[in-house]
Amino acid sequence: MDSSFPVPHNKFSLEIKGNKTDVVICSYDDHFLVIATQIGTMGTILQASKEEGATFNPTFSVSVIFGKRDEPMLEACARQLVEHISNSGSSRPLMLSLGLKDHSAETLKGVVSAVIENRLW
Amino acid sequence: MARGDSDLSALTEALSSSQISKEKQPTDPSNGDDAGGVQITCFSEVVHDTTTLHFQIMRLPKQIYAWIGCNSEKLGHLYAAAPTRPSAVSVTSILGGTSDNTGSGIARRLVSRTGLNIILACNIPKNSPMIELDAEKLLVQKLLNLGYIKPKSQGS
Repeated sequence: MDSSFPVPHNKFSLEIKGNKTDVVICSYDDHFLVIATQIGTMGTILQASKEEGATFNPTFSVSVIFGKRDEPMLEACARQLVEHISNSGSSRPLMLSLGLKDHSAETLKGVVSAVIENRLW
Repeated sequence: MARGDSDLSALTEALSSSQISKEKQPTDPSNGDDAGGVQITCFSEVVHDTTTLHFQIMRLPKQIYAWIGCNSEKLGHLYAAAPTRPSAVSVTSILGGTSDNTGSGIARRLVSRTGLNIILACNIPKNSPMIELDAEKLLVQKLLNLGYIKPKSQGS
């Protein structure tokens, strides 16, 4: 992590179900960017944000802005992460990029826990 | 058959020695560690004495993600660009960039030079062509230094 650069980031690699997964987490002023890739590209990009005006029991909005729009597990992953961000006290939206070889629950859970473990929020 | 085997091993040897050379690993001292297939490079430059440009380049195996920050650490507009035919490039804006598409030109030109898929995040304010130009120049220079793109003189 380069501490003098204004945008901090965390980069690491792990194996999920035998697939090497590269994860990068970046903290911008107004977004968190999380990239998890097994296929060498960013894959599908989703945006997840907290609805305005919600203090307790907030609601979130998740949408795919680039890529596969028919994989509910990806949206579920973004939803879990943005809720975690919100529970940690931040209202910043999440930009999540998932380039995964399979979209099983196990893989997505692996991604979520790896990101939470190395989070920047 | 023994002769078949030796022919095969000779063929394998010949093929492996004529392999296209692997792209050279960047030895960029500024945070360019390449463990895990993703190489991240971050740097900042001051242009025109007033504007600080921050750059973040992530080299994925088949894609490059770049972020350009102009005096701010906001994500900005997000563009995806890719070569569509051998000589055509397509750019689409995936976040922001409806009336303000500062950065789409940079994305398009990056694809023309690298031939790779590019995701570009850019928060340069609109109507700042000079800053856009400087940002693009610095970015391309860095990509050349890192070996992600070949210099024009070496042919496309």
